[in-house]
Amino acid sequence: MWLVFFKELKELLRDRKTLFFMIALPLLIFPVIFGIAGFVGKQAIDKAETKILNYGIIGAQYAPDIVKELQQPDKFNLINIAADDDYKSIIRNETVDFVLVIPENYSSDVLQNGQATIKLYFNDAGLNLVYRRVNEIVESQSELFQQNAFDTLGLDGNQQDALIKPIELEKVNTADTRENWGEKIGGMLPYLLFILCLQGAMFPATDIGAGEKERGTLETLLISPIDRNKIVLGKFLTISFAGTMTALITVASMAIWGLVLSQGMAIQIVADFMAQIGVLDFVLIFLMLVPVVAIFAAVLLSISIYAKSFKEAQSYMGPMMIFVIVPIMLSILPGVELKGGWAWVPITNVSLAMKELVKGTMDYYQLFAIFGSTVVIAGALFAFCVYWFNKEKVLFR
Amino acid sequence: MIEIKQLSKKFAVENPKKLSEQEKKDPRLKGRFFHSVQDVSFSCQKGEVLGLLGPNGAGKTTTLRMLSTALKPDGGSVEIAGENVLAQPVIARKKIGFLSGTTGLYGRLTGRENIHYFGQLHGMSEELIAQRIAELADLLDMHTFLDRRSENFSTGMKQKIAIARAVVHSPELVILDEPTTGLDIMATQTVLNFIRRLKAQGTPVIFSTHHLDEVEELCEKVTVIDQGKTMFDGDIDAFKSLADGSLHQSFMAAIQTTASE
Repeated sequence: MWLVFFKELKELLRDRKTLFFMIALPLLIFPVIFGIAGFVGKQAIDKAETKILNYGIIGAQYAPDIVKELQQPDKFNLINIAADDDYKSIIRNETVDFVLVIPENYSSDVLQNGQATIKLYFNDAGLNLVYRRVNEIVESQSELFQQNAFDTLGLDGNQQDALIKPIELEKVNTADTRENWGEKIGGMLPYLLFILCLQGAMFPATDIGAGEKERGTLETLLISPIDRNKIVLGKFLTISFAGTMTALITVASMAIWGLVLSQGMAIQIVADFMAQIGVLDFVLIFLMLVPVVAIFAAVLLSISIYAKSFKEAQSYMGPMMIFVIVPIMLSILPGVELKGGWAWVPITNVSLAMKELVKGTMDYYQLFAIFGSTVVIAGALFAFCVYWFNKEKVLFR
Repeated sequence: MIEIKQLSKKFAVENPKKLSEQEKKDPRLKGRFFHSVQDVSFSCQKGEVLGLLGPNGAGKTTTLRMLSTALKPDGGSVEIAGENVLAQPVIARKKIGFLSGTTGLYGRLTGRENIHYFGQLHGMSEELIAQRIAELADLLDMHTFLDRRSENFSTGMKQKIAIARAVVHSPELVILDEPTTGLDIMATQTVLNFIRRLKAQGTPVIFSTHHLDEVEELCEKVTVIDQGKTMFDGDIDAFKSLADGSLHQSFMAAIQTTASE
């Protein structure tokens, strides 16, 4: 059995294509993607922030303060427009970036004139910081007016707060940070791990089953004096190993690069968060993955050995992804918890358990149900695999 | 040495409607089963080379696959040196070396590793494997490419490695399924030389072929199969005397005797 395993592994490691998908891709591609996305995003925001905005203003005479604030040649550039211009079309043909319309009742004496509504016309599709930049100016004026009004009324600080917001509903979160973040990260974790496992296992599975048939080496292997069960087991272990490794390498790579890239503030949060999850929980997450990978490996091997060629195997394996995603999605639905029946649904239960483990709210007794059901299914699928491997109809199709 | 009696094998037909007209006319199709091999018997003694002849689809490959234990017969018996192959396939496999024209190698392993792997599967010790590989490398002149990856080998090189792999465990019986089909003249010669050598060592060889000149050159015994039945089983002289003139006519005669029955 180990003979088959080591030989398959050796062959796998010599295949550049596999190595690329298993190791190079997660190690290099992720940081590159993160890097590029971060860089491009930052560039775009910088550009939006420093861009000189062309603007038109109507009713400037009512709000000299705002007009004064807008006179910053490195940020804003005034274009003269008429009040009866079609704002939409002049914004579209890029004569101006925004148009500010100030109403007649605009006044610093808000108690007298009431609320003033300034209209800001601009194209808000896509990334732009027009609203934010104009709002900065308007907001500071608004606060000034507010303060004036409060002073006129002679209100103290306490009364001012009460007037601005008579009733405040304060949110007190009883979940600690771990639970809070765990819900978010823990929900994503199974997605990532399962899909990576499947992805990583898929190529070796094709190679080991259908590939062997296609190259004409299967027949010789079958008539060598080794039990079929051992051949199956060896191949099965290789696939599981490859799947697990891909997942681990990718997660490790993401964790490391994530730490490297999110320096400063974020690193503290991540580090604190990680520190709260015990070693036991990490080990359990990993252990939980094992029977799931076994399920994948058994199914993939069965498919692969049935297929006549690489191509056939790959087209059969394609839809598997959907079958894996659905039960994971179930685990994210509200109301689906690791209790009663759900603890017995394969894959869903493991996703739920992973989430619970990350959150630190695991009911460890449920592990029996999870391991129990997953092992039973994995075992049954493996038994099927062995049975399948003894069928002439499958081997010599 | 090897004795095959009334071997038979049927395959379930999944969808009879899909079969071609010709296949439907084949008398071997009975209900939901296609009786690929119905009654094949022959035997081969030490030092003999047996040529298995028959038209395409006659059941040659199925027969040889049953001998090599890849397929399980539905009826009949196979005995190698008194050992019942059907009852103890794992033991029988150790005695058999099998090679077919379509056998491939593990492309990402070197020639040596390919042979080594099968040596290990046969439970041989490391020393013995190394010794056998050295022997076979001399014999088949493989030193120049033994340690290169086999994916870039020429057909001839591949065939040499495949031969070495098939006999690494010094089998008592060698079964070859159309070993020369699709090979060039040089590679064919390698295979034929290899059969000669086995013959000289006294190892019985059973091989199927479409080349009657190979049969004439190498075989003591000839078995002709058509539609899953043994049509002729005897020595080469008896085969020749089936018709005056060439072996081709003998072959036609062997098939027609049954067709007219």
